[in-house]
Amino acid sequence: MKIYQIAVKKPVSTMLIFVGVITLGLFSLNNLAIDQFPEMDIPYVSVVTAYSGANAADIETNITRVLEDNLNTVNNLKKLTSTSRDNVSMITLEMEWGCDLNEAVNDVRDVVSRVRDYLPDDVTYPTIFKFSSSMMPVMVLTATADESYAALNKILDDKFVNTLNRIDGVGAVSLMGIPAREIQINVDPNKIDAYNLSIEQIGNIIATENINIPSGTIDVGNNTFNLKADGEFQSSDELKNIVVFSRNGRNILLGEIATIKDTLEKATMDSRINGKKGIIVLVQKQSGANTVNIVNEIYKLLPQVQETLPKDINIGIVMDGSESIKDNIASLSETVMYAFIFVILVVMAFLGRWRATFIICLTIPISLITAFIYLYATGSTLNIISLSSLSIAIGMVVDDAIVVLENITTHIERGSSPKEAAVYATNEVWISVIVTTLVIVAVFLPLTLISGMMGIMFRELGWIVTIVVCVSTMVAISITPMLSAYILKLEGGIHNYRGLGIIYKPIDKFLNLLDIVYARLLTWAVWHRISVLLITLALFFSSLFLLTVVPIEFFPTSDNGVISATVQLEQNVSVDYTAKIARKIEGIVAEKYPEVRILSSSAGTNSGSNAFAAMQSSGSHIISFRMRLPRATERIRTIFEISDSLRKDFANIPEIRQYSVVPGGNGGGSMGGPSNVQLKIFGNDMDVTNTVALELKERVSKEVKGARDVQLSRDDMRPEYNVQFDRAKLAYYGITSAMASQAVRNRIDGFIASKYREDGDEYDIVVRYAEEFRKSFDDITNITLYNNAGQRIKLGEVATVVDEFAAPAIERENRRRLVSVNASLAPDAALGDVIKDVTALLQTYETPQGVDIVIGGTIEDQQESNQDMMTLLILIIILVYIVMATQFESFKMPFIIMFTIPFAFTGVFLALFLTNTALSIIALIGAVMLVGIVVKNGIVMVDYTNLLVERGYKIRTAVVMAGKSRLRPVLMTSLTTILGMLPLAIGSGVGSEIWKPMGIAIIGGLTFSTMLTLLVIPVLYALLVSNKAFRKKITNEDEKREIEELKRSIKRLNNPVN
Amino acid sequence: MKAIFISYNQALTERILNVLDNNNVRGFTKWALTEGRGTVDGEPHYGSHAWPSMNSSILTIVEDEKTEKIMNDLRTLDKAAKMQGLRAFVWNIEQIS
Repeated sequence: MKIYQIAVKKPVSTMLIFVGVITLGLFSLNNLAIDQFPEMDIPYVSVVTAYSGANAADIETNITRVLEDNLNTVNNLKKLTSTSRDNVSMITLEMEWGCDLNEAVNDVRDVVSRVRDYLPDDVTYPTIFKFSSSMMPVMVLTATADESYAALNKILDDKFVNTLNRIDGVGAVSLMGIPAREIQINVDPNKIDAYNLSIEQIGNIIATENINIPSGTIDVGNNTFNLKADGEFQSSDELKNIVVFSRNGRNILLGEIATIKDTLEKATMDSRINGKKGIIVLVQKQSGANTVNIVNEIYKLLPQVQETLPKDINIGIVMDGSESIKDNIASLSETVMYAFIFVILVVMAFLGRWRATFIICLTIPISLITAFIYLYATGSTLNIISLSSLSIAIGMVVDDAIVVLENITTHIERGSSPKEAAVYATNEVWISVIVTTLVIVAVFLPLTLISGMMGIMFRELGWIVTIVVCVSTMVAISITPMLSAYILKLEGGIHNYRGLGIIYKPIDKFLNLLDIVYARLLTWAVWHRISVLLITLALFFSSLFLLTVVPIEFFPTSDNGVISATVQLEQNVSVDYTAKIARKIEGIVAEKYPEVRILSSSAGTNSGSNAFAAMQSSGSHIISFRMRLPRATERIRTIFEISDSLRKDFANIPEIRQYSVVPGGNGGGSMGGPSNVQLKIFGNDMDVTNTVALELKERVSKEVKGARDVQLSRDDMRPEYNVQFDRAKLAYYGITSAMASQAVRNRIDGFIASKYREDGDEYDIVVRYAEEFRKSFDDITNITLYNNAGQRIKLGEVATVVDEFAAPAIERENRRRLVSVNASLAPDAALGDVIKDVTALLQTYETPQGVDIVIGGTIEDQQESNQDMMTLLILIIILVYIVMATQFESFKMPFIIMFTIPFAFTGVFLALFLTNTALSIIALIGAVMLVGIVVKNGIVMVDYTNLLVERGYKIRTAVVMAGKSRLRPVLMTSLTTILGMLPLAIGSGVGSEIWKPMGIAIIGGLTFSTMLTLLVIPVLYALLVSNKAFRKKITNEDEKREIEELKRSIKRLNNPVN
Repeated sequence: MKAIFISYNQALTERILNVLDNNNVRGFTKWALTEGRGTVDGEPHYGSHAWPSMNSSILTIVEDEKTEKIMNDLRTLDKAAKMQGLRAFVWNIEQIS
């Protein structure tokens, strides 16, 4: 017994099984979390090694290169980049997307432990660092304060951070932009020299004074008491009274030779929110936790927390990671709703009968709901990808039901009872219904195999469409016949237009007219096969020229209401100076851009040590801004326009050396971020590469029109004082260079003597020269060193201090030194055009020896994914061919059908050209999907033509008859898909920009190819298939008789009842 | 006794059985799937790609007086759904064991 027989025989069970599925789906939907993207592993692993006191070049030779040479052997490694800065080496391994990151991290750990012995002795053990999307903060808050500023860190830590940490799913809450408290012992070098004391000695004395020692137990009678000696400072004031030196009964106290300050450490960063002093609170989530839930919880807690804080502290929100998620989901849900309505309207218009429409449209909710079960079962979320997949699938799920129902109605019209018609009509079509579904599966299932970042995006799409379409087929061969058997009446034949049916009258008339016009056109075409073929081929090849006009980009950008900007001043300016410029810029923004709601700025280096901070470049001369604007729909200027205007403002500020403005912000990984162009200049000689980079930077900003924010990745050489020891003299005094340089460091940077503990928190006690004694060149030469014999030696005696220039950081990629010229794109510039200009520029540029220049940036990703797309397209075409060839048991038929695929691409190019949309990866995916959607139409046409030929009609007659009879089903399935995509293509909601190109591509391609399918397939069929193929004898009839027969059969078709 | 052989589109099965029931015919032999095509017109029933529908056939032996009524009922049924295809043939039975 076949499934449809069972379904018709047991309506109750059938109904209840699907009610069960729906219930399960709704339950899943209820429990589904909302997120932006599907969970993904960002395939980056970093190895961070600190080597205190080494400059960039030393770090490069001693650490970075050693590690790089060995890390290069790690499996699945795609790209190895590194930055060597003063004190720190950071190596980043970009792995292949989708590889097992845990395994990669283990490999890296193995390598690191193997290499450890080859690294200098006093480097810290290399830290291995796995990036993940959970590192991006889900929420950024700010706290501003007036009087309480000095204590802000502590207050927030106690009252705010702790509360937030208790929220389920919160990974880490970190404070940024506030200097920590430290106890400074600022020593007067002249005084300590007088007592023959060194910084180290003072430090050690403080350390030994500040100590608690448990001293065992004593028994007193029957009781045991613990004994301890508490020497730790109770307050920072006690430090003053420490005896550092004692001679002839006279004690010298620390307070006499140094000033002791319990204060904030020297500010290395100045961060402001809307111009007010404040700190930034970053909230990161645990991996797998749900952003929206966390943010909602935080919002709930905020008023409570605010009450416990001092009145002058204000908590503000800079970034709310859930906002764009909620907006996106809301606008996509709307898109799905509209698509649903459009599809119902199309079905209604074609069938004109509400019962039939109801039966067909019931397949939509049932099959879509199963997608939620899939999402729930795989632990995924309702996200942009899953919702868009539903929107894409909605037009396709009705196709099978339409085919089944159409055949059932035909049977009823011929006199079967609905119940019998349901069984026997389904029996006739169920196999071809499954085959057409297989075609769709052949297109969408390979999408789950794409590698790289695109794979993450399209895996879910592939699975959802596959599952939904398969379920829709199940529904079409079970519920559709079942409902038809019990709901459909013996209706059919001519519509009576009664009641609401009156609306259907004009539509019916129009469709009848369309039938007649099409039949005439087709008859003409079949008699002018060669010319029709030539015209269509000409159309296709001329459309290829559109490719040169359609702009090309990688990924559509969307207006998410965030602009971030980085401004670099000249090297070697102080934080205070940088902060001044930051205030100036803030003033400009406040005045000229009232749209900006929250402007947070930070100038200088970050003292925080969280992952988010590590990824940002910072320095005392760098200011980073983050601007938050209202939703795109609530303002007139787009972030792209504002960014452009900001760039002009920045260009007018003379202090700014270089700047970049990134509309959309640079968070969120590489997806949806703006495109950029990179000129990678490889070469070992820093001077040569610097010159080349500077020249190219100049030329790119002048000659390439679409380039903005042209920047060098390498900072200018930075002037520095280099203390060069004279080894002979050092040896004479019995000092090693290590001792000497450590001594210099302790006097200038400071010697952390001990920790001061208060209320469970620890603060550094730092001993160093007082600030007035470390201000000039002479102060350095005057530094006093002591050798082991206690002799006092001035630094000037054993070393010379020279002015030098050094690179602050050395970048490498795949083990070669690299400088890159980076540029972002102007809003109206397409990536393809800019690349063309840059390539032209490079051709005229004479590259010095030993230097290689490569174009990188977004284009690298694009080339990679274009390759993926091509492989995918070929794979899909082969699969689709196989499915069709098996169905028709012929090599020729699939070819006839696939002949429409190029025209689908013509339609894609045409639609993109007309709507002025760039050919992006999303549009390409749309084009790939078209292969399946378009072929479906062809299968319907060819299958029916075959049937007519088997029934003994002459080829040309069969072709025309089949065309005429299949016109409505083909139009109907195409229109449901086209209109289902329409909301996606014209969507104006937040984030709709991303899917727009796909909607446009599919609509254009499908419209165009449907029109051509209706003409080209019959023509090609008539050309390529001879009746012999069907083993029918064909007597040599002349053309006249053939025409006569054709006319007769068309007449018969117009009046089917005779 | 007469033998009635009914060959019909399987979609009519239920209604044919109704005719037999209404005429109090208890015994019959039925072939659920048979192929065939009409002498005059109508579509062939082959269960193939070109002609997907199938026939069923019933052979029933009834009393002489019932024959006319049954044949009339079948004619009405055929007229109501001309496109389906239904034919019935009657001949004499010589012996029954």
